[in-house]
Amino acid sequence: MSHALIIAEVRRGQFEERNLDSIGFCSLLGKQAVLLAPAGEYAIGEKSVDTVVRVAAEESLFLNPLNMITIIGKEFETRGKPDVIVFTSSSSGSELAAYTAGHFNLPIITDVSGLDKERSIFYKSYYSDKIFGEFRPAAGGPFVVTVRSGSFKEHAVEKPAAAGVETMEGLAFAGGRAFMEYVEEEKGEIDITKADFLLSVGRGIGSKDEIPAYEALAEGLKAVISGSRPVIDKQWLPKARQVGTSGKTVKPKVYLAMAISGAFQHIAGMKDSDCIIAVNKNAEAPIFQHAHYGIVGDANKLRDKLREILKG
Amino acid sequence: MNILVFTKRVPATQEEEIRVIDDGKKVDLSKVPFKLNDWDNYAVEEAVRIAEKAGGSVAAVSMGDAESDEVLRRAIAMGASDGFLIEAATERQDPNGRATLALNFLRKQALPFDAIFTGVQAEDDQFGSMGGILAAKLGLPFASMVIGIDTFEKDHVIVRRELEGGLQERVKVSLPCVLAIQSGINEPRYVSIMGIRKASKVERKVFKAADFQEGAENMIEVERWTYPPTRGGATMIQGDADNICKELLGILKEKGVFQ
Repeated sequence: MSHALIIAEVRRGQFEERNLDSIGFCSLLGKQAVLLAPAGEYAIGEKSVDTVVRVAAEESLFLNPLNMITIIGKEFETRGKPDVIVFTSSSSGSELAAYTAGHFNLPIITDVSGLDKERSIFYKSYYSDKIFGEFRPAAGGPFVVTVRSGSFKEHAVEKPAAAGVETMEGLAFAGGRAFMEYVEEEKGEIDITKADFLLSVGRGIGSKDEIPAYEALAEGLKAVISGSRPVIDKQWLPKARQVGTSGKTVKPKVYLAMAISGAFQHIAGMKDSDCIIAVNKNAEAPIFQHAHYGIVGDANKLRDKLREILKG
Repeated sequence: MNILVFTKRVPATQEEEIRVIDDGKKVDLSKVPFKLNDWDNYAVEEAVRIAEKAGGSVAAVSMGDAESDEVLRRAIAMGASDGFLIEAATERQDPNGRATLALNFLRKQALPFDAIFTGVQAEDDQFGSMGGILAAKLGLPFASMVIGIDTFEKDHVIVRRELEGGLQERVKVSLPCVLAIQSGINEPRYVSIMGIRKASKVERKVFKAADFQEGAENMIEVERWTYPPTRGGATMIQGDADNICKELLGILKEKGVFQ
């Protein structure tokens, strides 16, 4: 029986919710699901896969790409090769997936957010989510995917029987990379997750020189200012104000996104806001798919007009 | 420390409207400006800073068409001492193909290096895999999402990897190694037109991708290009600027965040 191999992401003793997307992906493909999971005390929801392999390596060893190829190599020896190896599309998942594909010389498709089983097609985003590519492995045999968080979890259904539990022991890791410690980001001057109204700016505003006028508008609207990743990377705003997967996840009453085109990593951090209003000069910007209200136009001009009105 | 940085010339599509053409066979990028991939810009900067501090040299490598020379000139203007172009007529979508091409190039040319840097991902394909595949094929240690390099010693580096939600992990990686550099790790220096003009006087070496093709066949194929599924979308606020502002303020009042 063909099977899928899922690599669990467990971080600081938590079985990450995005593992459900890996599990749902396998259900949708109709594959027996074998889950490789590190040592530790955490709940998996063992009814959602067919087999759980508890690997005698704690999470910091398990999430190390140099060790992962040893673990997967051993799994290949004992069970045989799977049809597909599934990783989360996260910092560690992506790192492990690429290294695994390179080591075992396997095709890889990353950030998969949809599939067409009949046509054996996997959808992958391109150009900041503006275009999708319909990809497939060129030949048969195992291939590697990373699955986008939130894309498949509703297909992760409970199975009638609890999973069989196996163990993998006697692993010898080669070294070359070692985990030292976790580092928490410094607390910023403000907690944007507490704000009711966020005025968020993106790279489309053009330059750092535009920021003071947005800050003035935010003050006039009694909103808190935040930004998307490029704005933080360019140091137009401090890191504490970043919305998105690598920044903060926010759920304000109103999220006013100005000149943010809406890459997935940003959407993931704000999609649960009560009301999303997007302003972008490009009518095709992905953010309009997630917004409740949209305005097509130049954000800087709209900002100036709003300030004019507020001055009354 | 000698560092090789892999760079890519990519279309700057963030603020552009792009179209699928030829029945899904092609994406029209003819009106889109091209530039150095953002992540690679950070990678070049980081490499140059290390070389400035610890000595050694930085060489930039680019795979692509003849116009990719542009990103090499830019890297040289930033402080790289060499530029290598692996010229290919067609663009490769498969990260395995690109990584194998890079592998064959490194082996045949026997370029000495202590570390290879790549960007975490290219803005166009967002695969984020080339560095990891190359590292595994070279049998070298690898770390991705590198948001800080704390120490750079003779035989190892200590780096911080960006995880999710503001968490990082510190890992020790033996040299030689491959590091995929995350955006925001530094503030890349400004490069003037004069600087690029000066850089173009430094000779860049051009190689033919055809000489490094062994085993670099594509392992995945694209059937078609399409648009992401639509999800209902937003209620659009239209009209002249005054009306739009009035309506917008009305919504803010209705939601109770503005009086």
